This record gives sequence, structure tokens and C-alpha cells, in this order.
Amino acid sequence: MATAWPNKVLEKVSDDPLVVINPKTWGHHHSYGGWGRFFAGLREQKLLATRCTNQGCPEKRLWLPPRCECPDCWGTMEWIEAPTQGRIYTWSVVKYPGELFKLPPGTPLISVEIEGVCTKLMSWLKEGEARIGLPVRAVFNTARPTNTILDLAWVPA
Amino acid sequence: MIRFGPGNLRIPRFERPVYVIAGGLTDFRKRYPEKNSCQLCLEALRMAVEENDLKVSSEEVRRGVNWCVYSQFADHFGDQLLAAAKVHDYLGFDPLGNIEVKTGGATGGSAVLAAAQAVASGYASCVPVVGWERMDEVSTKVGNSYIASAACKDFESELGWMYASYYALMAQRYQYENNVPRETLARIACKNHEYACYSPYSQNPGRYSVDEILKNEIVSHPLAFLECCAMSVGAAVLLVCDEETAFRYADQPIRLAAICGGSHTLRTADRRHMPILLLPNETEATYGEYFSQKRRDWPGFSSFLASRMAAYLAYHMAGIKDPIADFDLLETHDAFTISDVQTYEDIGLRPYGRGREFIESGDAYYEGRLPTNLSGGLIGTMHAVGATGIFQLVEILWQLQGKWDKFHADPERWSRYGKKKPADFRSLQVKNARRGCAISHAGTGSHVTCAILERP
Repeated sequence: MATAWPNKVLEKVSDDPLVVINPKTWGHHHSYGGWGRFFAGLREQKLLATRCTNQGCPEKRLWLPPRCECPDCWGTMEWIEAPTQGRIYTWSVVKYPGELFKLPPGTPLISVEIEGVCTKLMSWLKEGEARIGLPVRAVFNTARPTNTILDLAWVPA
Repeated sequence: MIRFGPGNLRIPRFERPVYVIAGGLTDFRKRYPEKNSCQLCLEALRMAVEENDLKVSSEEVRRGVNWCVYSQFADHFGDQLLAAAKVHDYLGFDPLGNIEVKTGGATGGSAVLAAAQAVASGYASCVPVVGWERMDEVSTKVGNSYIASAACKDFESELGWMYASYYALMAQRYQYENNVPRETLARIACKNHEYACYSPYSQNPGRYSVDEILKNEIVSHPLAFLECCAMSVGAAVLLVCDEETAFRYADQPIRLAAICGGSHTLRTADRRHMPILLLPNETEATYGEYFSQKRRDWPGFSSFLASRMAAYLAYHMAGIKDPIADFDLLETHDAFTISDVQTYEDIGLRPYGRGREFIESGDAYYEGRLPTNLSGGLIGTMHAVGATGIFQLVEILWQLQGKWDKFHADPERWSRYGKKKPADFRSLQVKNARRGCAISHAGTGSHVTCAILERP
């Protein structure tokens, strides 16, 4: 029995030094695990955060991004709807995004400060011009969700 | 963790002294297809063993090695899992044990920490730390996506796929809270690009005016291209030894007085307010009137708790009372101009909110009180990530040994990389340098090491 040489060949970029292109085409089956509820919430126009249920834990505020377990006491968290209004804590306009960015260059990125939440959620501003302190409200991509954090955005309140 | 327990702030100690004796580098380039990663590591190792005036033959060093630490940031970039095994074999160290360390941008610092732990505990007596990165197999745009995979992929990476943006968010907040002029940030870029002009290893040398930096194209508002680190290919090697080996092998062993690590949340978003961890040169009174309506949080987005933690431990471990007085030179992880100013405060060069003064006063310059990034840093010379923290310590080692000129001023060194030594070259050897510090930094401050080298 004889085996033929492979018929798939690597594209050659140069001979000296010899440079070839190794192709990459597959996808990863990435699970959000317990955090998936947050993304499911976005489809229902809800901003789902978590809060530690341990009475003895000093951190009483909401976590957003959510965590299923509390980093301070390792106790279980409960899911709670967070306010959908906040203020811009900081911002940037990304002119040269990386390859996988699904929004156009020039999209303002923002970090949002929300009353009662102990974190400052990173997100993007869908309308208007960003400035620190600007009151904003959440909007949700329910028409054709990407199932990523991009399904949440903010507009001036 | 926002409340420390008694064990959390224990000051690390070495069970026996740790020395660094030799360093080696390749030059750093945006693209380096002429040499594969194994070859780059071998080149840096040979320089360390053969060109550092060791008193013994390279054969004797080879026969003295008993453990190796490898340092590469991203398997994505090199596209080779277990790359350390391939490099280890290529360097001829099989069947000695080895580990590969990965802590993002701080991988080099963490690798040296791992080597120091091995030597300090008695596990090993002679450890090469070998770091490299190969970032040229993909386009810059894909490379930025790979790097942004080192942000939280569930909640952050999608927002730009661009690390410069995550620093830009901090820059904007820092400027709001501290009113630092754009010109001051630009001066950091000018300084480090200029110092890179005196390094044969550098990738991005250049003489720029503040105005040119300010008019440079924006990557992510407010940061311009010239304020961001290089994306590099290259390697660096540092030889870490116990005292007996160090003095037998080397003409001028340099003591690793401390190397300590800190960490903070990968997501900047999750950094909750906490009391400021005070360094030996600060008191409660330093921050008596610090917090205001604008500056409500510490560390918030303006400070790196990981850097503060690493400096806190390392300063106590090495007996540092005042970093500006006690250090003769410093290498910071100047991935972006903004992170440099933040770091000045985190490591106590100025109190929080006053980092700009470190640049504006001239302290940070050659012949200033604490010359910083004379190597050209990440902005001017290199950021071949796995090599970076090692490169910093190699440059400090040569400074403390008084060998900066040997490794930078010789025209032969320039010609071996196909370069010509510039006509206006100047020596950046710090006169009688006794003690130096290097900060190795990952993520938006997820891992940081603080290393202190001193002449014994």
C-alpha cells in the first residue's frame, strides 16, 4: 500500500527565510457557565447583578459583572436587577480597535458608575458624546443579540 | 481582598542570599523571521555566558546549571504549546528540570521571582532565566486581539479588542482626577524614545518634540501611537545564582536584595475602594486631605494596587526607606505613558496625585535624582513580553556593574544588528550606581513584581 503526498499545501510567503502561513479556522465552544444568566437577562432588557447572601459578609453592594460566588467570603450570591441608570466614570474613543471588534472604529467606550454597585462596568455609548459624569441609561440589543457584552449599551439619560 | 489579615502582609525573606551575575539580549524588532524563537533564546544565553566577563568557561557554566525558568507570555503568538520544552532542548539543558512562567506582561519579573525562590530555598544554585516573545506571526491588528485576550473575555475584551483602550479609560480618569497636562505625559514618550537612540537593541528609537507626540495619531483617545509600547520579537537571559556560585563564576556579582509580587483584579471595573496601603516614606498625614469629590476611590482607575503591594513588600524586604534617595536608577514598565505616571505614585516616588512632578522636576532623567528607563523602556526599546521583565534587570545589572558602555557604546554591538552607532551617541552609564529597581507589570495591573538589585 502506498500513501499519496498531502494535497493541502501551506501558502508560502517567502523562500529565505522560509515563511509559511499556518491556517486557523475553527471556533471555540465557550460557555459563560453560571454567568450566562446575565447575558440571558440582556435579552429581556434586564441588567442582572449579584449580591452576597451571607449575612456576615461586609460587602452588601451589587456586583456587575456578576459573580456566582462572593470573593470576600466565597458564599453564594443571589441575582438582583440593577438600576439601569448611571453616570460615565471614564471614557475613551477607540480609533484603532483590534481585529475582532464588532463595532466601527470611533465607538466611545465607557465605564459606568451605578448607585449601589461596587464596580464600574465597562460598556459602550451608543448615542451622544461621552464625558465624565454624564448621566446615562442602559439600552439592550434584543433584535439580533450577539450574545456578548456588546448587547448592553448606554445612551444619555 | 480589601481588608488585610496579619498573614497577608508578611514580608517575604530569602533563606539564603540570591545573586544575578550575567545578562544577555538579542536586538528587538517588529518582525524577525530570520531567526526562530529557539535561536533567539540561544543567542541571548550565549551573550550572557560568553560576554559578561565570567571567570569560568561556558562549559563550566553549562555543567553548573541545575534548574531553568522560562518566560513567555502568549502561546497564541508563538503558536507552540510547551514551547519551553523546545527551547530547553535547544539550549542543551535536558534532562534538567524546568518550569515556564506566565503572568502576562509581568511574566519576565515573575520568572526571575521563581528563579530567586529556587535559589533562596536551596533547591537550586545556578538558574538561567530565559524569556522571549515572537509577536510577528500575525498582523498588528490580530496581535492586538491576542493581547486583548488577556483582558476578561466574558465582560471586557469585546469592548475594543485593544489594550490601549483599557489604558485610555484609566488615562482619562487619571487626568480628570489629577489634572495632569498632556505635555507631561508626552515628555515621558520623548524621554524613552530618545534613550532608545543610545541602545543597539532598540526597536523604536527617535527624537521627538512634545509637540510631535501631541500631534501624533491617536490609538484610543487620549493615547497616541508614540505613547504606546512596541510589539516586539526578541529574547533576554539573566543568570541567577547562590552566593558561592556567584562569586566563583562572576567578577562582579550583584545581589538581588528583594523581588516581590502583587496582584489585582483583571477587570479594572472590579477595583473597589479601600484604605491606601502606605509605603515607608508615607504616613496617614500624606493623604490627610487627599480624597475629594473628583478623587473618591483608591486605587480606583488611577492607581495600581498590585504595584503598591509589590513595592510595599520589596521595600520592607530590602530596607528601602525612600525610593528616590535609596535607588540610583529605575526601570518601569512604561507600556503606556499614563501607566508610567500612575506607577511613579504607586511605588512612592511622589504621593498619589503628584506623579507628574517626577517628570516635570527632571528627577526621571539621566543625571536627575532617579534616572528612569535609561534602557529606552517599552516605549522606545522593546516589549517582547516574555523577555521584558528580564531585559529590565539585565540593563540594571550592567549599570550596577559599570558595564553599560561595554554593552551599548561598542560600535561592534551596533554592527552585529545591522545598525550604525549614532554620531551623537552619549553614554547613559549612571556614575557609581549602587542600587536599582525594576517594576514588571501585567494587564491593567493584574500582576506586578518589584525587584531590587544592589552591589554587595
